[in-house]
Amino acid sequence: MLEKSSAVKRGVFSATVCSNKQIRERFYRLVLEFSGAGAEAFAKIGAGQFAQLDLSDTALPPVETIPDDLADVAERKILLRRPFSFADVTTKGNKTSVDILYCVVGPATLRMTTLSARESVSVLGPLGNGFWVPDGKKTALLVSGGMGTGPLQHLAKILTADFPDINVIAFAGARSAEALPFERQLDEISQQLGFSLPEFAKYGVESLVATDDGSAGFAGPVTDCISEWLGSSKSAGKSMVIYSCGPEAMLARVAEIAREKNIDCQVSMERRMACGISLCQSCAVECKTAGSNDTFYKLCCEDGPVFDSAEVVF
Amino acid sequence: MSEEVDISVEFAGIRLANPVFTASGTSGYADELSDFMDVSSLGGFITKSITVNPRKGNATPRIVETDSGMLNAIGWANIGLDAFIEEKLAALEKLSCAVFVNIAGETINEYVAVAERLAGERAIAGLELNISCPNVEVGGISFGTDPEQVAEVTSAVKKVAGDKVLMVKLAPAVTNVSVIAQVAVDSGADALSLINTFTAMVIDIETRKPILANRTGGLSGPAIKPIAVYLVNKVYNEVTKSLGIPILGMGGIRTASDAIEFIIAGASAVAVGTASFIDPGCSVKIIDGIKEYCVSNNISNIKELVGSLEAEQNAAN
Ligand SMILES: Cc1cc2nc3c(=O)[nH]c(=O)nc-3n(C[C@H](O)[C@H](O)[C@H](O)COP(=O)(O)OP(=O)(O)OC[C@H]3O[C@@H](n4cnc5c(N)ncnc54)[C@H](O)[C@@H]3O)c2cc1C
Ligand SMILES: Cc1cc2nc3c(=O)[nH]c(=O)nc-3n(C[C@H](O)[C@H](O)[C@H](O)COP(=O)(O)O)c2cc1C
Ligand code: FES
Repeated sequence: MLEKSSAVKRGVFSATVCSNKQIRERFYRLVLEFSGAGAEAFAKIGAGQFAQLDLSDTALPPVETIPDDLADVAERKILLRRPFSFADVTTKGNKTSVDILYCVVGPATLRMTTLSARESVSVLGPLGNGFWVPDGKKTALLVSGGMGTGPLQHLAKILTADFPDINVIAFAGARSAEALPFERQLDEISQQLGFSLPEFAKYGVESLVATDDGSAGFAGPVTDCISEWLGSSKSAGKSMVIYSCGPEAMLARVAEIAREKNIDCQVSMERRMACGISLCQSCAVECKTAGSNDTFYKLCCEDGPVFDSAEVVF
Repeated sequence: MSEEVDISVEFAGIRLANPVFTASGTSGYADELSDFMDVSSLGGFITKSITVNPRKGNATPRIVETDSGMLNAIGWANIGLDAFIEEKLAALEKLSCAVFVNIAGETINEYVAVAERLAGERAIAGLELNISCPNVEVGGISFGTDPEQVAEVTSAVKKVAGDKVLMVKLAPAVTNVSVIAQVAVDSGADALSLINTFTAMVIDIETRKPILANRTGGLSGPAIKPIAVYLVNKVYNEVTKSLGIPILGMGGIRTASDAIEFIIAGASAVAVGTASFIDPGCSVKIIDGIKEYCVSNNISNIKELVGSLEAEQNAAN
C-alpha cells in the first residue's frame, strides 16, 4: 500500500524557473527547478501534495495583454502565498524539477504568466497529504474537471510506475474543448470516446474526454461520463478506486456516484489558504465519521488536501 | 560586536531574551512553526485563543485577501481547555521563551474557568485576555468596547490568575482606546497588548454578498500598521508610560523596521501575526534586524529605544 504521504522536512526554498509555457488561452505549464535542500524535499512528493508560491513581487503582464475581465483585479496587491499542486515531478542528478499546470483567474496567476527562465520563486513546501493506494485495488479511475487534471497526471505516472497490476483510466472534463487544459489541439484527436490525451498516453494510460457543450468527446459533464462507463463495467466495486480533483460540485457528484457503487474514492479539496501550514485555521473542510451526524472541521492544508470522499460533507 | 547589545526585555516581571513574540491565532500551538524556526529563540510565544469547550469555528470562506492585508473570521476554532492541557502543554513547557496562553470566552465565567485552570500550570508565564475578537457573535468584542465589562472581566480573571502575568488585548475600533486601556490597568492588567484586528467586510459585486461566510472579519496585515503604531503611541503617552506598564505592540509587522517603529512609539515588545503566514521564519529575521539596528545606532540596551519618539517640535503653534 502506498502510505499517505507525510511530508519530509518542509521549508521555504528558492526555485528557478525553467520554462513557463502557454498551452491554451488561460492555461500555462510552469516548470520549476530545485537544487540542494529544496531538491531533496521535493524529490519524493506524492501526487496531490502542494506548495505555496510567493508571487507578490512578480511583475504584471503589459496592460494591453490583460484580459478585460481581470483588468480590475490586476490592480490588487498580493500579500499571501498561493497554493498549487504538481502535474509532474522529475529528478536528475541532484536537481528536482516540478511542473505546475495553472489557470489564470486573478492577480497572482496573472502575475505568474510573466515568470521567465532563470527567475527565482520562493516556494514553501512540500505540504499536505496526497493520494494513497488502498490494498487490493485492480482498477483506478482518475476523474478531473478543468485544472484538476494536474495532480492526476502526476498520479498516473506514479501508479503506472509503482503499481503495474493496477489498470489506470483517466477521465478529463471541462465546459468545452477550448477549456480543456491540454497541449494538443483536440481537433487533431479523434472526437470519439476512447481516444488518448498525450499527457496520459505517455504513461500508457487510456483517457476519455467529456465536455459540457459536446465540443469534444462525451457530450455532458464528466460525472455522467463515468456513470455511464461504470454502468457498463463489470469491475465496479471493491477492487476499484476513484481519484478525483476539480470543482467542488463535481467532486460532490463523484463522491455520490462512488457511494452508490460502493467504490473507494479520494477527492482533492480546495480552500482559500492563508498559510498552508496549519497556523491560521482558514482552510476548514467539514467532515463527518461514518454512522454519525456530528460534523467537525479538518484542515485542508494539513489533513488534506486529499480526503476520503466518504468523510467530506459536501 | 553585536554581543555588546542587550536586546533582552523586562516585561511585567518576566525576563525575555528579546522583544519579539508571535501573535495569537497566527502561530498555532508552536509545534506547527518548528520546521521553520526555533520557537525557543523568540522572546515570547502566544497560543491561539483557548476556550473552555472546543469550538469548531465558523463556516468557510474564513479568510479573504485585501490590498496589503487580509480579513479573517476563524471564530475561535480551538481544541478546548482540556485537550489543550493534555495534548499541547508538555511541548510548550519545553520552550525556553515565555509562553502566554490567549484566553477567550462568551461569558465572564468562561474566561475565569480557563484562567483558573491555567494559573497552576508551570509551562505558562502569562495569560493574554482576548476581549477584542471581532468574529464571535456573543461576548468577544462587546467585552472590549464597554469599559464596565472590561473592568469586570479583567478583575475577575486577575483574582484567579495567581502569579501569571495578565495581559489584556485591546480592540482598536473604540472611541478612545486610552479609556479602555486605563480601565484594564486599573482592574489589574500587568501588561497591555494592542492591536487586535479591525472589523471589516469585502463584497462580491457579482453576487452582492459578503465573501466571508461570517459576513465580516478582522482586518490584519501591513494595511493596519500605521493605525496600530499610532494607537500604541497614544496608549503609551496617555496611560502606561507613567505607570511602567509594558505594551506588546502588533499590527502589520513584517520587518525589523516595522518592529522598531512600534518600540519607538512605546511598545516594550512586539508580536508578529499575519507575516508568519508568508514567511513562517520571519520572526527570527526580525530579532536579528533589531539587534543590527541597535548596533548601528549605538544603542547598548533596547530599553533606550522604548518610547523614544522625538517630542513634537511645533506643537500647539
Ligand atoms: C491545494 C490546492 C492546490 C491547487 N492547485 C492548483 C493548480 O495546480 N493549478 C491551479 O491553477 N490552481 C490550483 N489551485 C487554485 C489556486 O491556488 C488559485 O487559483 C489561486 O490561488 C488564485 O490566485 P489569484 O490571485 O490568481 O486569484 P484570486 O483572486 O485569489 O482568486 C480568483 C478567483 O477564485 C476564487 N478563489 C480563490 N481561491 C479559492 C479557493 N481556494 N476556493 C474557491 N475559490 C477560490 C476567488 O474568489 C476568485 O473569484 C489550488 C488550490 C489549492 C487549495
Ligand atoms: C487568521 C488570524 C487568526 C487570529 N486569531 C486570533 C485569536 O485567536 N486570538 C486573538 O487574540 N487574536 C487573533 N488574531 C489577531 C492577531 O493576534 C493580531 O492581533 C492581528 O492579526 C494584528 O497583527 P498582524 O497584522 O501582524 O496580523 C488573529 C489574526 C489572524 C490573521
Ligand atoms: S491554510 Fe492556514 S491552516 Fe490551512
